[in-house]
Amino acid sequence: MKKKLLALVMAMTMILALAACGNAPAAPNASGSGSGSGDPSGSTSQPPADSSSTGDQSQPEGPELDSFKVGAIYINSQNDTAGYTYQHHNGIVNAMKELGLDPETQLLIVDNVDDSDDTAVANAIDTLAGQDANIIFGISFGYINAMDEKSAEYPDIIFSHGTGYMANETNFNNYFGRIYQARYLTGIAAGLKSKELGNNNIGYVAAWNLEYAETCSGINAFALGVQSANPDATVYVNKISTWGDENLERQAAQALIDTYDCCVIGQHCDSAQPQLVAAENKVFGCGYNSDMTDQAPTAHLTSAIWHWNVYYKTAIQAAMDCGGDASKFVENMGGNAYYAGLAEGFVDASPLNASTAAPYTDKIMNAVRELMKSGKWDVFSGVKLSYEVKNGTVEISRNSADLEDNQGNVIVFAGEPSVDDSVIKGSMNYNVAGVVEG
Amino acid sequence: MNIRVVKREGAGMGRQIGAYVAAVAAALVVGAVLLAIQGVEPLAFYQRMLTLGIPGNKYPFRILENFIKLFVPLLIVSTALALAFKMRFWNIGGEGQFILGAICASAVGLKLGESLPRPAVLLVMALCGLLGGGLYGVFVAALKVKWGTNETLLTLMLNYIALYFLQFFAETKGDWNFFLDPASARPKFIKFPVNAQMLTIPLGPFNLNLSLVAAGVICALIFVYLKHTKGGYEIAVVGDSPSTARYAGMPVGKIVVRTIFLSAALIGLAGAFYVSSAGTLSASVTNDVGWTGIVVAWLAKLNTAGIVLASLLITVLQFGCQSASTTYPSIDANFANLLQGVILFAVLAADFFTRFKLVKQSKEVA
Repeated sequence: MKKKLLALVMAMTMILALAACGNAPAAPNASGSGSGSGDPSGSTSQPPADSSSTGDQSQPEGPELDSFKVGAIYINSQNDTAGYTYQHHNGIVNAMKELGLDPETQLLIVDNVDDSDDTAVANAIDTLAGQDANIIFGISFGYINAMDEKSAEYPDIIFSHGTGYMANETNFNNYFGRIYQARYLTGIAAGLKSKELGNNNIGYVAAWNLEYAETCSGINAFALGVQSANPDATVYVNKISTWGDENLERQAAQALIDTYDCCVIGQHCDSAQPQLVAAENKVFGCGYNSDMTDQAPTAHLTSAIWHWNVYYKTAIQAAMDCGGDASKFVENMGGNAYYAGLAEGFVDASPLNASTAAPYTDKIMNAVRELMKSGKWDVFSGVKLSYEVKNGTVEISRNSADLEDNQGNVIVFAGEPSVDDSVIKGSMNYNVAGVVEG
Repeated sequence: MNIRVVKREGAGMGRQIGAYVAAVAAALVVGAVLLAIQGVEPLAFYQRMLTLGIPGNKYPFRILENFIKLFVPLLIVSTALALAFKMRFWNIGGEGQFILGAICASAVGLKLGESLPRPAVLLVMALCGLLGGGLYGVFVAALKVKWGTNETLLTLMLNYIALYFLQFFAETKGDWNFFLDPASARPKFIKFPVNAQMLTIPLGPFNLNLSLVAAGVICALIFVYLKHTKGGYEIAVVGDSPSTARYAGMPVGKIVVRTIFLSAALIGLAGAFYVSSAGTLSASVTNDVGWTGIVVAWLAKLNTAGIVLASLLITVLQFGCQSASTTYPSIDANFANLLQGVILFAVLAADFFTRFKLVKQSKEVA
C-alpha cells in the first residue's frame, strides 16, 4: 500500500513535470481501496509465557543447541504491538527463551509476507532455508501450497504450518487449536450477563461465517456457551468479510446494538473496536486473541485467547530432539496435526473482569473448564450443559439433547460424542440453532 | 530575500549521471544512519543486502533463481510503461494489465496443460497473456482517441476491476471455477500442470529461467524500436506534440492505439511469465510491479538501458533487504520500501538541481 501510494505520487510528479500544458490530470488518490489490512491496534497484553512450563528444567548446553535455528514467516510485521503476528511472534520468542535458545541470533524472520502470493512465500522459505533454518514456521493459511512443496524439496528441514491441513509423515505438520473450547467459556460469561440484564439478544462481530470452519465453529461454540447459561438467548452475527478492518468492526458492533439492542458483543476479528463500541454504548462484550479488559474496562468480560508458546515450545523441542534428522519430526510430535486445547493450556478464556461479570460467572466457567480439560465432555456433542448454583457451589448438569443447526437439521443426535473433528478437518459449514446472521 | 529557480545552461549527460550516483549514495547514507540508530551495523547490513545474502548461503543458486523471478516482471513492465510514457500516455494501469495477462495465461495453462507439449503450452500462454493485457489497455487508448477521455483515471480504475475480478476467482468456490483446487475445503488456487510451468535451462546447479532470456530480447527490441524505427520516431513526435504529428501527416490515433496495445500487451506477457514461473495463480500476483514499474521508468528517465539498471537496483533493494534482515528484529521489509523512497526523492532532488539552480533575487533584476 505504501509502495502504491509512493508510485502514485511519482506518477503525479512525472505527469506534472513532463506534461507541458494541457488539461489538469485528475489526482489518482483513490488508492485507498485495496486490502483493508490496517494495523490492528488495541490490545497489548501478553499471554503468560510460562502457563505450562514448570520452569526448572535444565537445558543441555552444547554445540547443537547453539547452532539450532528457528525460521518464521509472518503475515504482518514482527514489530507489531498487537494482533495475529504479534501473538505468534511472542509465542515463538518466549518458547525459545524457555528452551534456552537465543531469539536474537537463532530466530530468523521474514515478515510482511503476503499469503496470497505463492512466489513471495516460496522466496521467503528459500531465504530461511539458505540461512540454515532447522525448522520453519508459517503462520498464515495461504502459505499452504508453498509449505507443502518446499517440504518435499528440503527433506532436511522441518516445516510447520499454522491453521493449515496439509502434512506428510516425516518433516511437515500443521497446527491449530481448539479455540472453540475457549469460546464456549466466553459464551457462558456472555449468557450469564444477558440473563442478569434480562436481555436475550447477544451480538457477534465475525470476520467470516460459513466460509471457514474456523469462524463458524467459533460462532457455534460461543452460541452454545451462551445457551447453556441462558437457553432463551439468540446470537446475532454481523459478518464483515475481512479478517481485520477497524472501521468495519466498529460499524458492525454499532449496528448490532442499534438493530437488535444487543447487550453483549462477542467477536472474531483483529482489533478491540467491538469492545470499545460496547463500552461507549454501556453494554458488555467478549474479546478475542488477547485480554481486552485494558481497552474496555467497563464493558469487557473475558476473551478467548491463545497461548501459542505452548505449541512452539513443544514443536521446537521435538525438532531439536530430531538431532539433525528432520524426518523424525512428525514421529516426535506424535502425529502430523497438532490440535491442542484447554487441557494442554494452548487456549483459554482470559481472567474474568470481576467488575463487569454476572455473579458466579467465574465459578461456573472454572467448573466447565475443568470438565473440558478432563476430556469427559466437549462442545459439539449431543449433551448440553446447564448450571445451578446452590449455597455458593456450582452444579453442572449434563442433559442429552440433539445438536441442531439453524435450519432444523440434526447434526449430532442426543447423547452422541462430539464432532470436533469437523472443526479440525475444516468441514464444519453450518450455524447451530439460535444463531441468526443478519 | 527572494529565491528564484533558474534554468541551468548546458547540463551535460555526465553531470546528470554523476548527480544520480551521488543521490543514490546519499540515500544509502541516510539509510545507514537509520540502521545505526537501531543498533544495526550498516556496512554489514548493506553488504548482505547488496550481495543478496548469497555468500555463506546453503543454496546460493536458488537465491539467484528467485531474484530472477522478481526481476523479470519488473524489467518488462517498466520497459513497457516507458513506451507509453514516452508518448505522454499516462498508463498507470500496469497492475490491471498484468493481472489480466496472468488470468488469461493461467486459464489456458490449466485447460491445455494436460494435452499439449510443454513449449506449445508456454507459447499459447504467452500469447494469451499478451492479448489479455493488450486488449485491456487498448480499450482505454481507443476511448481516449475517440472521445478524449482521461487515460490516467481510466487505467487506474481498471486496475481495481481486474484486482476484484481476480479476488472473485480466488474466493468463490464452484464447479465452474477451474482456477481453484477442488480438493481443498477452503478456496485456494490449484497448481499448474507441469507443462504449463516455465522452462528452465540447467547450467550446472543453476536453472536459468527462460523468461530472463525473453525479457532481455524484449528490451533489446524495444530499444531498437524506439531509436531506429519509424514507429519509435512517431511515438516521440506524438509525445512531444500531437499537433506537430498531425501536421506532419501522422495518424495520431492509430499511433496511440498501436503503442498502447504494445505497452499493455508486454505487461500482460510479464503476467503470463510470472504465473508460469510460479506454477500457480495468486490473489496478489503482481507484487506491485505495476506501481513499482512507474517508479523505475521514471528513475531511468524512460531510457531503456537506464530501466535495466534501475529495475536491477530496485529488485536488489527489495530482495536483498529480505535476505539481510532475517536476523535483525528491528528491521523488516518496510526498510526496503523506506530506502526506495529515500533514493527516489534524492534522485528527484538531484534531477532538479542538475536542470535548475536557485539564485537569490537581486533588486536590479526587472
